[in-house]
Amino acid sequence: MKKLDYKGYFFIAPFFAIFLVFNIYPVLLTFYYTFTSYEGYGTPEFIGLTNYIRIFSDTYFYEAFFNTWKIWGLNFALQLGIALLLAALFSDLRFKIKGLGFFRAIFYLPNLITISSVAILFSIMLDWRHGSVNMFLQQIGIISEPINWLNQPVTAQVSVALILTWMWFGYTFIVLMAGVSGIPGELYEAALIDGANRWQTFVHITLPLLKPIMLYVMITSLIGGLQLFDLPMLITDGLGAPEGSLNTMVLYLYNQAFRYNNYGYAATIAYALFLITVIFSAITFKSMYRKSVKE
Amino acid sequence: MTRKQYIKLIVYVFLALLAVISALPFYMMIVNATRDTKEILSGFSFIPGSSLVENYETMMDYVNIWLGFKNSLIVSVSVTVLSGYFSALTAFGFAVYNFKGKNPLFIFMLLMMMVPGQLGLIGFYELNKFIGTLDTFIPLIVPAIASPFVVFFLRQYLATTLHPTLLEAARMDGASELKIFHTIALPIMMPAVATMSIFTFIGSWNNYIVPLVVLFSPEKFTLPVLMGFLKGSQVAQNLGSMYIGIAISVVPIMVAFLFFSKYIISSISAGSVKE
Amino acid sequence: MKKRFGLYFMLVLMLLISAACSSDTNANSGSDSKDDVLKVWSFTDELKEPIKTFEERNGVKVELTIVPIADYPTKLKPVLESGVGAPDVFTGEIAFLKQWTDRNYWENLSEEPYNADQLSDDYVDYVFDLGKDSEGNVKALSWQTTPGGIFYRRSIANEVLGTDDPNEVGEMMSSWDGVFEVGEKMKEKGYSLFPDEGAIRWFSKGEDPQPWVNENDELIMTDAKLNYFDHAKKLRDKEYTAFAPEWSPSWIESMNGPIGIDKDGEEGEQEATGETEVFSYALPTWGLHSVLKINAEDTAGDWGVTNGPSPYFWGGTWLGIYSGSKNKDLAWDFVKMMTHEEEFLTDWAKETGDVLSYLPVTEKIKDDFSEPFLDGQNNYTFFLEQAQKIESGIVTKYDQQIDTLLGAQVLEYVDGKKTKEEAVNEFYKQVKNAYPELKMPQ
Repeated sequence: MKKLDYKGYFFIAPFFAIFLVFNIYPVLLTFYYTFTSYEGYGTPEFIGLTNYIRIFSDTYFYEAFFNTWKIWGLNFALQLGIALLLAALFSDLRFKIKGLGFFRAIFYLPNLITISSVAILFSIMLDWRHGSVNMFLQQIGIISEPINWLNQPVTAQVSVALILTWMWFGYTFIVLMAGVSGIPGELYEAALIDGANRWQTFVHITLPLLKPIMLYVMITSLIGGLQLFDLPMLITDGLGAPEGSLNTMVLYLYNQAFRYNNYGYAATIAYALFLITVIFSAITFKSMYRKSVKE
Repeated sequence: MTRKQYIKLIVYVFLALLAVISALPFYMMIVNATRDTKEILSGFSFIPGSSLVENYETMMDYVNIWLGFKNSLIVSVSVTVLSGYFSALTAFGFAVYNFKGKNPLFIFMLLMMMVPGQLGLIGFYELNKFIGTLDTFIPLIVPAIASPFVVFFLRQYLATTLHPTLLEAARMDGASELKIFHTIALPIMMPAVATMSIFTFIGSWNNYIVPLVVLFSPEKFTLPVLMGFLKGSQVAQNLGSMYIGIAISVVPIMVAFLFFSKYIISSISAGSVKE
Repeated sequence: MKKRFGLYFMLVLMLLISAACSSDTNANSGSDSKDDVLKVWSFTDELKEPIKTFEERNGVKVELTIVPIADYPTKLKPVLESGVGAPDVFTGEIAFLKQWTDRNYWENLSEEPYNADQLSDDYVDYVFDLGKDSEGNVKALSWQTTPGGIFYRRSIANEVLGTDDPNEVGEMMSSWDGVFEVGEKMKEKGYSLFPDEGAIRWFSKGEDPQPWVNENDELIMTDAKLNYFDHAKKLRDKEYTAFAPEWSPSWIESMNGPIGIDKDGEEGEQEATGETEVFSYALPTWGLHSVLKINAEDTAGDWGVTNGPSPYFWGGTWLGIYSGSKNKDLAWDFVKMMTHEEEFLTDWAKETGDVLSYLPVTEKIKDDFSEPFLDGQNNYTFFLEQAQKIESGIVTKYDQQIDTLLGAQVLEYVDGKKTKEEAVNEFYKQVKNAYPELKMPQ
């Protein structure tokens, strides 16, 4: 491992060959558009840094930035919490919970359905007059009047975050369990023999050894979360109502590009989003590594 | 002892509750596939209706869903195989060897994951026009060779599971690098590859916008594109038929999922049997 | 070892090359063999039957591709821009029609051999006009006209207004004051005038018909549009509506009978819980066939159609020939059949009830219509009269989006989330953000 070994190139060559052909060209083209005024057809007109200047003073973009974080943050905390809890339960030797395969399959079901079907489903369920959510909550007496979930900024954001949690906790759980399976069983047996309790086993064995996988979960969820788009688009009028509370960064990008034909500006938003993602991924990487140094 | 059982009961109730929440919409969809539009509009029901055959016939009048099924299967299986194999290869290259530019290349790959895809569509189309691959499955299949997310996952997985000593031992026996990959690393990665394969397969199966844009011939349409076709036709008024279409497109991935499920992770509970 | 590497790289290379090659041959053979097939793209299956007729008559094969409307521009743009895999004939909906007429996507029908300009007198003015580009060349034609009206429940009209005659009801609804008067009467008897406030947007648009954007790229805000805010607010505050926004489950349910209502008091108002029944809906020609007839089964025959405070139109489909088509003769034959062939259009109108824009046919057939769903009323003549009143030449490529933005701000004002001034200013801000090239008033 220490000395250089060029055989590695041979293993990664096909990946990069295809990658260069299919991904780089569109990405570079997009970068070029950031310096242009382009309607998506005809010839792009070069306008220098105008788009970049505009984005700095664009309050809608800032609004979209914060909306995205609020929705993603809540969703990620819940999703990771549930998935970790499940991973802890299933990896606990004392419980010997049965039916991992069964539960894994069931928990993953919400992720099988396409996002457009999910959106239709929840629009119906959250309808204030007919929705089963309101009917249920009224029946058990938690609320006395129906709530118009998708009409108030806060409830709309919470609703979207909860739907996302519902869609993704199974996925996160599976990925975490894949990581748990990589942990040698002897370690747990040893911990059991040493008399470690559940919490100790989880904190001192499962969590540290899950770190690489956790990093994967965090980074991919961050990337996916910052690109949150279909659900807010499909569940609202496409503009991110109420009061722009579901206007996420990519929804804003999409509207600028495909609704208003400001292709050049949309490309600029894409690169701003790219930069934001890079910065926050770097922070995540850094903080994960610093922690591991401490231990 | 009783306290332990009590806790265990709570755990099972919690799991059961989560399971119900997860499965309910799925069940609704299948039930709705058997009901007619009016029944569906009048609210949810747990009892299947009697319009299954009519719904199916209405749908088949408009699209040959099984042809789309075949196309989707060809695309998704190819994508899954290519993505699984080449990602394992790439992850192995990154995890095992030390070469110049290794870290920059890996970081570059990660960076490219972060570019929002929505805008690449026109460039992607232009590219396929240039190399003459429009209206073929190639733009749907071949890019799967480069799946950064899968590579990233597998490399992270190898970081916990692959011990350099294993490789050294194999090298001593005179095995070639490629053979080491095939006989040692790939089997170790298999659970992780299987896990990722599920996601890849489903992602490809549900992929809508790329096939919509690059395919022109109806006989090449994949399922999601056909479903779009249905949505634009009068069938859209017949909710039951729409649901049966969705059900037909979801149930197979369900089956595929259960099939792969066996190969994921002989988990910790299996390990405990050895006790 | 080295040898293996070489072999391996060969493999990778071959994979790439074979991928490229196989696709090449595919693409070529594909396009060659399809010259005798007419390719038509649309966003609904409306053309399915006409295509069958066309195939039978001409002995050709027509391939119809349907793309849902939400994805239609996404699918068409790359294809029309690059010309690869493009259809011979494609339709355009009003939402993107004006964006497309000014591109070179559609063949110029004003030129030889089409000479579509000669047809101008045969069509409803605004419909023909919408198919033209900014220089007046005809790019697309339409077989239909889609003016709107107010569909109302006859039984409720009889009970509350003392008449169900379309002319008398129309008289009452022909001014804003009249509309609110009817609303008050409806409320007294426990009925709702409209399903929701959005229903009146068309009348505001049609009241003082001016384009949203003039030739100097200035946004034109008319008093009628500003009044839309007030009218909508009044409807809500006076409780003339039923909280059933268009396309929601409640909206559809309300067409069949009473719906539950829980008028959530905005500023500590008293709550009224109970049921209400909606009196009327603002819908265009197609609303009868694809909304009401399908959803209002229980109230069939209890409907009438009349005018509101101003004429308006909603939607519509145009079709034209792709400028790069290799099959233009056949494509033109199809467009001709669809838009100005008497025999076909007569059958079509009689079969579907679609209100045509081709006057030579409508003049002949309009008097024979009697719609059972509307208790025998002749909706055909009613809609044709409305169509003639519609001002032409005021639709811009911005309309669809600006209308959406306006509607959203009106709703914020109606919901009490913003004052009128805030809502109007936010509207300007959003329009400016969407179209930086436009100049806002003041």
